Amino acid sequence: MSPRLFLHVLSVETRKLMSYRVEFWLNTAVGFLAQFGAIYFLWKAMFAESEHSIIGGYSFDEMLLYYVSAILLTKLVRGRERESALSQEIYEGSYTRYIIYPTSFFRYKYAQHLGALAPASVQVMVFGAAAAVAIGPRTLETISMTSVAMTMVIVAIANLLHFVMKAPVEGVAFWADNVWSLDVMLRFIIGILGGAMLPLDLYPTWAQELLVWLPFQYITYFPVRVLVGEVGGIDFAIGVAIALFWTAVFAGVVRIVWKRGDLQYTGVGI
Amino acid sequence: MPPIVHVRGLSKRFTVHKKAPGLRGSVRALFVRDKLVKDAVRGVSFEVGEGEIVGLVGANGAGKTTIVKMLAGIIHPTSGQARVLGHDPWKRHNDFRRQIALIMGQKAQLWWDLPAADCFLVLKEIYRIPADRYRRTLDYLADVLNIGDELNVQIRRLSLGERMKMELIAALLHTPKVVYLDEPTIGLDLSAQRAIRGFILEYRERHAPAMLLTSHYMEDIERLCERILIMREGEIVYDGRLDQVVRKHAGYKVLTIHLQEQVQGVCETPELAAVGEVQECNEELIRLHVPRREAATAAAHLLASYPVADLTLEEPEIGDIIERIMAAQKGAPA
Ligand SMILES: Nc1ncnc2c1ncn2[C@@H]1O[C@H](COP(=O)(O)OP(=O)(O)O)[C@@H](O)[C@H]1O
Ligand SMILES: [Mg+2]
Repeated sequence: MSPRLFLHVLSVETRKLMSYRVEFWLNTAVGFLAQFGAIYFLWKAMFAESEHSIIGGYSFDEMLLYYVSAILLTKLVRGRERESALSQEIYEGSYTRYIIYPTSFFRYKYAQHLGALAPASVQVMVFGAAAAVAIGPRTLETISMTSVAMTMVIVAIANLLHFVMKAPVEGVAFWADNVWSLDVMLRFIIGILGGAMLPLDLYPTWAQELLVWLPFQYITYFPVRVLVGEVGGIDFAIGVAIALFWTAVFAGVVRIVWKRGDLQYTGVGI
Repeated sequence: MPPIVHVRGLSKRFTVHKKAPGLRGSVRALFVRDKLVKDAVRGVSFEVGEGEIVGLVGANGAGKTTIVKMLAGIIHPTSGQARVLGHDPWKRHNDFRRQIALIMGQKAQLWWDLPAADCFLVLKEIYRIPADRYRRTLDYLADVLNIGDELNVQIRRLSLGERMKMELIAALLHTPKVVYLDEPTIGLDLSAQRAIRGFILEYRERHAPAMLLTSHYMEDIERLCERILIMREGEIVYDGRLDQVVRKHAGYKVLTIHLQEQVQGVCETPELAAVGEVQECNEELIRLHVPRREAATAAAHLLASYPVADLTLEEPEIGDIIERIMAAQKGAPA
């Protein structure tokens, strides 16, 4: 696939999403507010209940910052999943076009996936700024130019990692009638073990030590900690290496699944 | 010159795993899977040369689409050989893919949520078509198919006929040497059908590709193909010129009369058998196959002999012709 084609697909996708204005702004704003509200009241109650001002090393404001960062960064990592659902193409038989056209299915889909990120980044910046005002600027002091730059690197890697982690599950569509439940399960596991539900600091030490070596926390927890300036140079390099390692592993799994899936594919619906 | 499409003993067997409904069925399916085997294509051999449009006809489920899918590289054959432009289609080599096109009336290939103009630009990049050639080809194709403003409308919002035209343009932008058309006119109104047929001929005139066309419409086959392959249950039962088929097997018309009143024993009258081959007969309705050249005489004769309320004279359906050929094939050679 030529870089030109890659960029072209990316820009077409971006323009397409930008054209859904109502959905783009209204729905995402409502979704974001609902998530933020739920977390705000939940943790307010938790802090009141526990009578401590620090839980798992987080003050209330730090906890809010954690979740806001987690929600926004995860949005960048996941992109718009609906748009690039690989299983959908298989079920609808539109996977056929990537067999007919001289192009690579995965590169095409990844370009599309990245295309969805440009508008998502705009949203993340707008919502991020709004949330920063709400939480109060004092909490943001640890965020620096360096930490933001490092976050961009790890988010880019996390994005690819998440894509290849999901792809084998999507590929089950070659054999099974429904991959939706598997998708939900994977999402749940990534949410729990990746730090989107709870900061991993609240888990037992042995679990935290184990999770460092697994892929999940590089989706949410690690990028958030990089953003708030808690990850030093060496730890960052190690984290990046582990995330890249898992990306390579899953890319290998994707290859195998698709090689076998291709033999199964009959282009249903034609 | 060797043929562009060369097929020898090609077969495809589908294995479907039956699954009983409900949870119990699902659990059971984990241990025992009831297999259902379907031989969709059985040892077919044929060739398609440059500039040739070959019609692939047969009843629903005869295996036409399966052949097209194998030759386009979408599915792997169970056995046999196919070479298209010197390639094994299912290896999906880029050299091969750059030179073929597949158009399916039943299935859109273009991206539904993009306007055609955007889809075409994506294809321009995929096929690496130089800008000036792209411009020229697109202008030409859009002109022949009479496409204008619709280029900027999302594919999903187009009518079936407009969408099909876009699919055709998309498939031919890179001027493929091999074109597979699977039911390209299905569901279209007559004027759209006509436009598409004219377009296919025009394309053949200019680029002389090898084309394989399946269709339910006799009109498509008649207008476009000089040669047809007739399939039945996965096998090719006729491979020859279309005019031979029509001359040999459709030398008749279908004559139907409705009677004003019930006529006792009408079916036994010897005049009927003298006029043509009785297909259907009861006390109110008679349907006959009459020789084409004697159709008018036969009609006049019947009008004079019976209390006729209504009389129609029609062309036989392609399905009927196919049926006849297959019947002949089973008994004596056609
Ligand atoms: N993916 C598939 N799995 C199982 N059976 C199939 C599949 N595709 C087609 N068949 C069966 O193979 C036969 C030929 O189908 P097809 O080639 O689509 O026929 P046609 O295009 O001539 O109508 C049919 O009996 C059909 O049910
Ligand atoms: Mg078919």
